[in-house]
Amino acid sequence: MKMQHKEEDVEVVDNGRRSSFDRMDMVVRFLALALTLVAAVLVGLDKQTATVSLTLVPSVPPIRVPATGKWTYMSAFVYLVIVNAISCFYAAVSLLLVLARRGRHKLVSLTVTILDLVMVGLLFSALGATASIGLIGFQGNSHVHWDKVCNVFDKFCHQIVIALFLSFAGSIAYLVLIVLAVLHLHKKL
Amino acid sequence: MASTNPTTPPHAATEPPTKYSAPPHEHKVSSFGPIIDVALRVILFATALVAVIVMVTSKQTKLIPVAPGIAIPRDAKFNHSPAFIYFVAALSVACLYSIVTGALSVLALKKPGGSSTKLQLHFVILDALLLGIVAAATGAAGGVAYIGLKGNSHVRWNKICHTYNSFCFHFATSILLSLISSITLLFLVWLSVYVLSKKIARR
Repeated sequence: MKMQHKEEDVEVVDNGRRSSFDRMDMVVRFLALALTLVAAVLVGLDKQTATVSLTLVPSVPPIRVPATGKWTYMSAFVYLVIVNAISCFYAAVSLLLVLARRGRHKLVSLTVTILDLVMVGLLFSALGATASIGLIGFQGNSHVHWDKVCNVFDKFCHQIVIALFLSFAGSIAYLVLIVLAVLHLHKKL
Repeated sequence: MASTNPTTPPHAATEPPTKYSAPPHEHKVSSFGPIIDVALRVILFATALVAVIVMVTSKQTKLIPVAPGIAIPRDAKFNHSPAFIYFVAALSVACLYSIVTGALSVLALKKPGGSSTKLQLHFVILDALLLGIVAAATGAAGGVAYIGLKGNSHVRWNKICHTYNSFCFHFATSILLSLISSITLLFLVWLSVYVLSKKIARR
């Protein structure tokens, strides 16, 4: 009998803590949703047309050709958009799950934590890919004769950089979600 | 979900038999947890170390024809691109980290009381952070290596892997190994979260 009493007490304390934890969790999750959505849209709408001067023969004056920079031209940017879209969609689904969760659905919260971690991995790898390609775009690479392109497509590059920072903030939000979940688990011990 | 799991409803406390029949299985899990943890850390150490070694030893020198009849030797090295320097740095950090945490895990395994939950908590947070770092390194190296393999006609970045084939083979191996490292880190965090939640279920 005494044991049961104790357990009920623990349950009540748990519920009080759970609600504050849930609120925090939802705020951070919503932040992750918004940040990844904006990042995906920013890259997805990125397009710039600029005139490039081409020198075909050294003696002839260069020809000016209009060139278009689009995000689909670079596989790293496509990867970034796809990963941001996936994590945005997942944030929406998990937000609904957290909202719908009333009792102690341990399996649901465990699954959500596991998938949060997958999102951290995906988002960080997309960030790494975009940042490395963007760096080559900014500085070029003289060893392999990859010329810089950001002096021509300046607006395009700035938009990518902004999206990169937003996406980075989104992945930090997912990292915070994991830390929150683990701290919550630890407090229950 | 709630109907399939008998311990989730709050009124499950009225059925003590199901509660007391659970501990043996959970005890087994918590005693196997640290061993799997150490094994995963050993895998992380091995893959990160081999990835770094393969990346650093990837130097290849080829004769490149610059004009008819004239060819100059040009070498390809990993430190020609900042992405690969970051890759080597990140995986070296992962390697060092796995040595330190692996040793701590073994020490905790030897202790009679098992690993403390506080240590586990720090491990989970640091593991998640390192997962981010290693995943970013894999992505960065993969992104540049993909351009090297396929080239990009839109910005006229030519592919280089048809010239430096063994160099690119080293890179592919290294990136694959770092992918395995990041998946190992993923499993490490999953294991820690699982063990923590099992410990709560045992209470």
